[in-house]
Amino acid sequence: MFGRFKPLWGKKPQLKSSYDAVIIGGGLHGLATAYFLAKEHGMNNIAILEKRYIGFGGAGRNTAIVRANQRTQENVPLYKEALDLWPILTKELDYNLMFNNCGNLNLMHSEAAMNTARMNVCTAQFHGIKSHLLDAKQLKELEPAINISPDITYPIHGAMFHPPGGVVRHDAVVWGLAKGAARYGVHIHQQTEATAIHTKNGKITGVDTNRGRIHTPRVLVSAGGYSAGMINKMLGIRLPISVLTIQAMVTQPLKPVLNHVVSSGMYHAYANQTLKGEIATGAHMDPWPNYTTLTTAHYIKHQAEALSDFLPFLRGVKFMRTWAGLADMTPDMAPIIDGNDPIDGFYMNCGWGYFGFKSCTATGRYLAKFMAGGQCPDMLKPFTLRRYEKHRLMGETAALVSYSADN
Amino acid sequence: MALTISCPNCGKRNGYEFRYGGEDKGPRPAEEGLTPQSWCDYVHMNNCVAGIQKEWWCHKNGCGAWFTIFRNTLTNLEVEEPEAKL
Ligand SMILES: Cc1cc2nc3c(=O)[nH]c(=O)nc-3n(C[C@H](O)[C@H](O)[C@H](O)COP(=O)(O)OP(=O)(O)OC[C@H]3O[C@@H](n4cnc5c(N)ncnc54)[C@H](O)[C@@H]3O)c2cc1C
Ligand SMILES: [Zn+2]
Repeated sequence: MFGRFKPLWGKKPQLKSSYDAVIIGGGLHGLATAYFLAKEHGMNNIAILEKRYIGFGGAGRNTAIVRANQRTQENVPLYKEALDLWPILTKELDYNLMFNNCGNLNLMHSEAAMNTARMNVCTAQFHGIKSHLLDAKQLKELEPAINISPDITYPIHGAMFHPPGGVVRHDAVVWGLAKGAARYGVHIHQQTEATAIHTKNGKITGVDTNRGRIHTPRVLVSAGGYSAGMINKMLGIRLPISVLTIQAMVTQPLKPVLNHVVSSGMYHAYANQTLKGEIATGAHMDPWPNYTTLTTAHYIKHQAEALSDFLPFLRGVKFMRTWAGLADMTPDMAPIIDGNDPIDGFYMNCGWGYFGFKSCTATGRYLAKFMAGGQCPDMLKPFTLRRYEKHRLMGETAALVSYSADN
Repeated sequence: MALTISCPNCGKRNGYEFRYGGEDKGPRPAEEGLTPQSWCDYVHMNNCVAGIQKEWWCHKNGCGAWFTIFRNTLTNLEVEEPEAKL
């Protein structure tokens, strides 16, 4: 990866001693923010610092699912804009992001769950997003691979169907955004780790890296699962975040058999068939916080049991590969996006848990506006860190989330 | 993730018998003089240490006891109490 090949996004830039803005983290959100800062706000004297290689974090490990059928008024519009951006960015970046809007099916396993889904559907429809309910029979007609028989562990009562969602090629998003940002002059520094953030009189003054100090009046921490620990260590700001490993795996390739992204909260499993034919599936998070990104037999077994119950064609099919990444979870399942509080010039964008892929483009665009003008756009205001001390948590989940296997 | 945890009553057991109970945040703050900020700090805020932390566990599928251990979040291994920093 650091061999003789020239990266797609151009030559390796020289690390300068000063930039107008420094972005820590070469993941989805950092790259998207840099791209829009340069493209829409003319800020091209900016640097992305990436301690490993771009896409090393969640950006290169996620299961690439995109959708805009969340629960709350605050979240849904942001995710909708993100969903609408994929075809636009594919053109703009001149890079095939392989958006496959196959639609998402959320399985419901009780009448109570159907009622909850009804509320989500109403929220989506209010915001002009396609989403509706299916009963078990309609579900079976749409996706014959699903087992609607009553003799499985959690029989299926119906589903929430969200036709415009689907999957996007996650690596392509990383490379496309990097290429786009570099074209507007953004410096992408790989193998460059931020080691300290400097402030003076309540203002950001610079960043230390393993390659020397950079002077800058603006820093964005956008380091995915590493953000919360970093912000606490470097600035003493504690966040309501728990960092957990989350695992995923793919099966051997099969002929086309599954036409939608299918997910089940009850089974703690979701799956879709990739364009290569593999069934990609994601599991629940580890039951306790850790930074290991190790995979475990526990979840391979869990995925096999869950999937072969509601997708019986998978019985006897082998898993080919498993991997894991970090999920930085907040108690209300919504991110923390904030700036200039309590430090002028300090911005953060983290707590995305396992939702940070689908949201990265729209968030990066609004955050660029925030960082360029200093004023928080209305779209991002609900995500302020201060919501927790006001005890105004967002209702993305019905109950406070506490991280254990039985949460 | 072969975590084993030492329960004060039952000894070293498989980690999946236990329920994680959060970072150790010291005693619950007194009602008197409690502000929304200090309550929020106690309830929600974490250190997210990439390294050794003191944390609560409950032996859920065992004796039911609540206790604290030290664990390295980078290796996911229980460790001895680190030497107090003077
Ligand atoms: C298994 C799995 C499945 C997922 N599935 C989905 C999904 O289907 N849909 C969805 O929307 N989301 C999904 N996610 C979540 C999504 O991947 C993340 O929310 C997203 O990647 C967060 O983007 P980011 O840019 O904030 O961070 P990341 O993409 O994690 O990038 C952060 C970068 O910061 C770098 N960094 C860390 N510390 C430093 C430092 N000190 N100096 C410099 N650089 C540093 C890291 O190396 C990393 O490259 C999934 C995540 C995982 C792990
Ligand atoms: Zn015990």
